[in-house]
Amino acid sequence: MSMKIPLVPENLKPLPRLKENEGMLSWVASVDHKQIGIMYLISTLVFFIIGGLEALVIRIQLAQPEFDFISPEVYNQMFTMHGTTMIFFVVMPFLIGLGVYLVPLMIGARDMAFPRLNALSFWLVIFGGILLYYSFLTQSGPSEVGWFAYAPLSEKPFSLNKGPTYWALGLLATGISSVASGLNNIVTILTMRAKGMTMRRLPLFVWMILVTSFLLVFVIPIIASAFAMMLLDRLLEATFFTPAHGGSAILWQHFFWGFGHPEVYILVLPAFGIISEVIPVFSRKPIFGYSFVAGSTVAIGLLSLGVWAHHMFAVGLGNVANLYFSLASMLIAIPTGVKVLNWVATMWGGKIWFATPMLFATAFIIEFVIAGLTGVAVASVPIDWVVTDSYFVVAHFHYALFGGSLFAIFAGIYYWFPKMTGRMMSETLGKWHFWLTVIGFNMTFFIQHFLGVMGMPRRTYTYHDFPYWGSMNLISTIGAIILALSVIVFAWNIRRSLKHGEKAPDNPWNAWTLEWYTTSPPAVHNFDLVPPVRGRRPLWDLAHPDQLDEPNSKVV
Amino acid sequence: MNIWQVLSSTWNMEPWVLVSALLLLVAYGLGTGFKFTKLSALFISGIILYVLALVSPLDYLGRTYLFSAHMIQHILLLLVVPLLLLLGIPKALAEKALKIEPIGYVMKVLGNPIVAWFLGVGAMWVWHLPSLHDSVLASDNLYIAQQISFVLIGTIFWWPVFAPVETKRLSPLVSTLYLASACLGCTILGMLITFAGAGLYAAYLNPVDTIGILPLIRGELCLTPGVDQQIGGLTMWVPGCLIYLAASMVTIARWYGAEEDYELSNSSTNELVTASQGNK
Amino acid sequence: MANNKMLVGFFVASESIFFVMLILAYVNFHGTVTDGPTAVNSLDPLRTGIFSLFLLASSFTVWLAGRSLSTKNHFMLKIWLFVTIILGALFIYGQATEWFGLFAQNITISRNVFGTTFFTLTGFHGFHVCVGLLMLSILLVLAMFGDFKGPKSDGVECVSIYWHFVDGVWIVVYSVIYLWAFF
Repeated sequence: MSMKIPLVPENLKPLPRLKENEGMLSWVASVDHKQIGIMYLISTLVFFIIGGLEALVIRIQLAQPEFDFISPEVYNQMFTMHGTTMIFFVVMPFLIGLGVYLVPLMIGARDMAFPRLNALSFWLVIFGGILLYYSFLTQSGPSEVGWFAYAPLSEKPFSLNKGPTYWALGLLATGISSVASGLNNIVTILTMRAKGMTMRRLPLFVWMILVTSFLLVFVIPIIASAFAMMLLDRLLEATFFTPAHGGSAILWQHFFWGFGHPEVYILVLPAFGIISEVIPVFSRKPIFGYSFVAGSTVAIGLLSLGVWAHHMFAVGLGNVANLYFSLASMLIAIPTGVKVLNWVATMWGGKIWFATPMLFATAFIIEFVIAGLTGVAVASVPIDWVVTDSYFVVAHFHYALFGGSLFAIFAGIYYWFPKMTGRMMSETLGKWHFWLTVIGFNMTFFIQHFLGVMGMPRRTYTYHDFPYWGSMNLISTIGAIILALSVIVFAWNIRRSLKHGEKAPDNPWNAWTLEWYTTSPPAVHNFDLVPPVRGRRPLWDLAHPDQLDEPNSKVV
Repeated sequence: MNIWQVLSSTWNMEPWVLVSALLLLVAYGLGTGFKFTKLSALFISGIILYVLALVSPLDYLGRTYLFSAHMIQHILLLLVVPLLLLLGIPKALAEKALKIEPIGYVMKVLGNPIVAWFLGVGAMWVWHLPSLHDSVLASDNLYIAQQISFVLIGTIFWWPVFAPVETKRLSPLVSTLYLASACLGCTILGMLITFAGAGLYAAYLNPVDTIGILPLIRGELCLTPGVDQQIGGLTMWVPGCLIYLAASMVTIARWYGAEEDYELSNSSTNELVTASQGNK
Repeated sequence: MANNKMLVGFFVASESIFFVMLILAYVNFHGTVTDGPTAVNSLDPLRTGIFSLFLLASSFTVWLAGRSLSTKNHFMLKIWLFVTIILGALFIYGQATEWFGLFAQNITISRNVFGTTFFTLTGFHGFHVCVGLLMLSILLVLAMFGDFKGPKSDGVECVSIYWHFVDGVWIVVYSVIYLWAFF
């Protein structure tokens, strides 16, 4: 089927400039996985800045007790939009976009299995984002019901504004996009690997994307059906989630968390993949325990499907149910812990080179361990009953999603930027960015653990002047401002490096996976020819034909 | 009666259990020549568990008082015992057995992953239809049929994943899908039972209290019909599922442990190759 | 290429989770309705059962269509595709008349949880049947233009996988809504 659509020119250059003749068109109409990947990354950066500004507004409002920087309604809108944006329009599409960019390069393929489906996935995310933010233009503004939109608050009698409707529609669109990209990734990884690239030699990033894609394909339909029911409730007056009319509000919670918990792993598994690529390269050692890292990913993926009810300990499912879910949730700590040990063991005794990607990767391990510890704590029912819906939980999931996913994302950007653009990022600005982020992040969120234990509930518009609450919140807000500064440095670094950055060689980090074999930026057709893959580190094997990773030295 | 008296006095040495266990052991011994190996330890522990599940208080309580006891027994007989038995069969013995025409043919049909999947998940669902479960409790013959079907169907279910002959097994990624989807089936059922509200299985609501331990169960152990049914549902849901997940981890671990298939992977060519194309 | 069939296979798996959730919602509320319409007092299992047979038959005819293609019998391919579309359309007609019959008794999606779950479940299924009919029609038009040379066509095979899926979902839906209520 080679039907040529007229008008759209064949893409000849890797990264056509917008100002060039038909430059814009060649981006918008592109079905090239690299261009689509870059568009994913740029749009998530835009959403990141929007979501970050929303967070800043929240923190300023909370800077001192009884403050009224914004109205309570706007405050509710801000935290709803912040959560939704960061999860569905920043971390998810970023990781999917990075996967779209890297998977074909890493497995030695020309493109994704379904390039047009790929373009559809990307544009659906944009469409969903527009739908979500369009609600700002409606009469009473966007959704005010929080990112998990618990019924019956999100239902008609309690939220008469159009916000939640746009919210659900926007997320439904991105949900469809995620399923499509998940399907695309699965088929690509299973069928389009270069010769010799067996499943057991896949780069770990690709492994993680594969497991994430399976999660996307099987988990997004859960929330899609819940969104459909919520929309039916809101638009056609169905009664799924309205207890007053025989529906069940708890049902929404089951559906939401049935999706919501695996979603956490959708957000964090590709981040694990980034870390598993960066750490070996900057430690100059192959990853320790490849099969443990890959296998434990599968375990995490499967376990994550069965433990959602631990988000609902406070609902009253009964002690027995709580006990079972508490134990099952703690089990996930095992495969996750295995990964952390593998990363540390990879660094152990390696020649560590603390370039910016490695700095972020190292910080990732530390922050993520903190998230894991507080996670095991809240998995135990009595602790959860005390701290649920408090700032302790806010701190916990920000350590997982910011200290986890976003730190890995930054590591990934610094690591692959030279490959994508052909220019190095500034190391000086990178280090500024790193230290500002680490200081700002920990200052903002570490203290929230204490606030939570002291009883500060999440999602409150303001608070009384209890002892220390004001000063602790102020510290948190100052941290948020430092974080904002770090984002400015980061954005400036990207802009500056795009224009004036040092030209990047094909393999600036001396890495071993296939994407570094091609030029920087990769040619339109990715590879002229793919080198033979004889192990997990194809470029190492190529450079050291007498010291192959396999089979001479068996890498576990 | 206190709890220890209950646990010591409700053993029920049913002859059919002992006879069938003995027959299996003898058949196994004849097949393997009565040598004690690591495999036979697995098989024997399977048999021991089989006997324990059917003669211990678990059986008595599950048939009369407690749905949760029934569920533990069910998980043991459907998932654990057959797995141990199957793992205990040496490859050579299985190959010999499969050469015998009817056995080989039957396993070819029943060992088909789709058939096995539907049997395995179906056994769980069908035997837990409330009306059927109540009639099982009322009839001894049906009860025996149920227990035997659990073990047989369990064996068939595990066959595509853990068949003693490697060629009969699914590839590790496919068996992960096989097990994960079965886990989904058992999750949904467990979920339905857990959240159905007390009295899904009417027989456990007001059991005939022949040995007078109902006050003990309901009072001291706090096992009201609602809690009892929740424990049952959750036992199927969480530990039941974990067995499937653990099994799929074992297949994946085995896969990583195995040597690479050279035919497929070790590209004999040292030349560069073209990248695979997408569907334009 | 095997790519296309693999894509449709996983897509169908993903879709089945979607339906599982809708069915679970139905099951969750089964028996909670104390007042107003329920499956028992407002549905006709026999009538819908007869229309279901059309859908079941269409699964068979789409298989025959695929077989005709593999023997390069292009005429029968068109015939069987056409018959499949007609059977599917008859099923949709049955669904539509059932819905309108319920509307006439003032049983709607907003009446009570039975209405809500019933219309959502059958509605989403009906929507999938309609999408399937659309795809079958496209196949038929392409077949009339002689697009399928045979013996294999991913287009025909993928649509028939989807169509079998839609059919399979209906078997479950019918069992849950009608058989469970009446037997």
